[in-house]
Amino acid sequence: MTLVTDQEVLTPKSPKKSPSPWVIARRKFFKNKLAMISLLFLLIVIILSFLAPYITTKDIVRVDFTKISQPPSSENWLGTDTNGRDVFTRMLYAGRSSLTVGLSCMLFIVLIGTTVGAISGYFGGKIDQILMRFTDFVLMFPFMVFVIVLNSIVVGKISGLWTLIIVISLLAWGGVARVVRSRVLAEKENEYILASQSIGCKSSKVITKHLLPNVASTIIVQATLIMAVTIVAESGLSFLGFGVPADTPSWGNMLFEARNSDVLKDKLWMWVPPATAITLVILSINFIGEGLKDALNPKSRR
Amino acid sequence: MLQYTLRRLLGMIPLLLLISLVVFFLAKMMPGDAFAGEIDPSNTNPQYIEEMREKLGYNDPIIQQYGRWIVSFVQGDFGKSTVYKKPAAEIIVQRIPNTIFLAFTSLVITYIFAFIMGMYAGRKPYTLGDNLIGTYNYLALAIPSFVAGIVAIYFFSFKLGWFPFNGSVGVGLEPGTLDYFVSKLHHVLLPALILGLMGTASYTQFLRNDIIENSRKDFVRTARAKGTKESKIYNKHILRNSIIPLITFLGFDIATLISGAVITETIFTYPGIGALFLESVGRRDYAVMMSITMLLSLLTLFGNLVADLLYGVVDPRIRLD
Repeated sequence: MTLVTDQEVLTPKSPKKSPSPWVIARRKFFKNKLAMISLLFLLIVIILSFLAPYITTKDIVRVDFTKISQPPSSENWLGTDTNGRDVFTRMLYAGRSSLTVGLSCMLFIVLIGTTVGAISGYFGGKIDQILMRFTDFVLMFPFMVFVIVLNSIVVGKISGLWTLIIVISLLAWGGVARVVRSRVLAEKENEYILASQSIGCKSSKVITKHLLPNVASTIIVQATLIMAVTIVAESGLSFLGFGVPADTPSWGNMLFEARNSDVLKDKLWMWVPPATAITLVILSINFIGEGLKDALNPKSRR
Repeated sequence: MLQYTLRRLLGMIPLLLLISLVVFFLAKMMPGDAFAGEIDPSNTNPQYIEEMREKLGYNDPIIQQYGRWIVSFVQGDFGKSTVYKKPAAEIIVQRIPNTIFLAFTSLVITYIFAFIMGMYAGRKPYTLGDNLIGTYNYLALAIPSFVAGIVAIYFFSFKLGWFPFNGSVGVGLEPGTLDYFVSKLHHVLLPALILGLMGTASYTQFLRNDIIENSRKDFVRTARAKGTKESKIYNKHILRNSIIPLITFLGFDIATLISGAVITETIFTYPGIGALFLESVGRRDYAVMMSITMLLSLLTLFGNLVADLLYGVVDPRIRLD
């Protein structure tokens, strides 16, 4: 007689383990051609931008009056700008700042929004009331207007990109908080939350270990949207001259030159590359977001 | 309904006071003297400046200064612009019609195009035309308005010469004449097209999906069974139901259009509120800056209210109370 262990009784010997939701989502995402191409493109742009100092050796700071506004040539692939700096090199460094702003803002906004939304939705009652009124208050400000005002106060006190990252993050987390709260409200009614509460889990543990993983799909999709929005906001503000300081190259700052009608009319090489870069990056982020939304939705079959 | 509206309007007052507090302290924190408009900048005698500061009350406690500002603000005295040497209210009132004209034109364009595209895509889903419209939507969502603006100026103003690229009206035209109006329309058309066409995506997508969803409903089957013409089914039976939710977008559009105007007006050097705002921040014209910030916040609140009210109007199932 052979002894049947508990383990064997509980898990019948089926060699095939059914895939977890994350595995299914990953498979679905990998099958989505548009999303995969976009992801690849975005990764290439990120790698190129962040390795900029190793790829080109040209100086982006030095103003060279002998090479002002030269059209593309074999030496300067995308020509030079009105200060005689190489446009291609600046494109790479600009990508670094634009993507840094996008990625950091995404991180901060998701962090703040998720914390506020989860606490508000989980505890409910007075805490919910207070936090949501505060969120409404933040959402009420016209975004662009207050970013410009705040930025002009903080600028110079904190160096470079961080001013803009902090200002955008502080003003833009409201939407995420609302979405996360509404998902948490629905999710916390499930029995597994009650179960974890009744075995004595601390609230912090219930939220981080049980609640948030089940809301993660919403948060991930929100995060991609946020990244696209903040990159647009950064380049728009820099284009207006109220974003990243002028000495730091960013795609928006490079487009700033197109406000000079002479550059806009005759010197295409100065403004077409950053304009294309912004558009393609936003487009690819949107496709990735769309792909993720599709992959993480258990109802969609593709 | 009326009661609800009144209550919401009353509820806006404390919110506006809070915003005014934030705006005031932000202006105080900005570099330079926020209310130095009255002091003659050419007179650098420290004694004179000190006297003026005392007289204008800049040395009073900050709460007192806020109180003074908000009281005169509510009474319609927005302070004096340091750049234009005129009351801020006067400059803003001058610029407002331009911004409203731009916003209105672009809204009309958005509605017309979204309507045509949404109806076509909804009626013939998954065809070539629908896919093209879908692609356009993706592009419109991805291209930032300022990039579209730059490209449009390059092609339509510089290469083709169809549209002017700055100002809001031709030089030397008398207000009130037909030429004046045509010139105004000509100037507003390109920025309005950019703002309008970039804004169609969400409307088109919504209308398309709603039409597809509605076309599977029972009342459509009944209409078909009766032998109603296909065009009539789509244009009358379905459209009437699909159009209702679209109206609620209007409220949110007020806020979006204003934020969009800041950028668009600057690209086209169109003299509206948005361009004035940027100029006032850049040149530290605090009275104008604070007034516009307050005005735009008020409009955003108002837009949200309109959206909420419209929900109730178009969908009787939503009770506002």
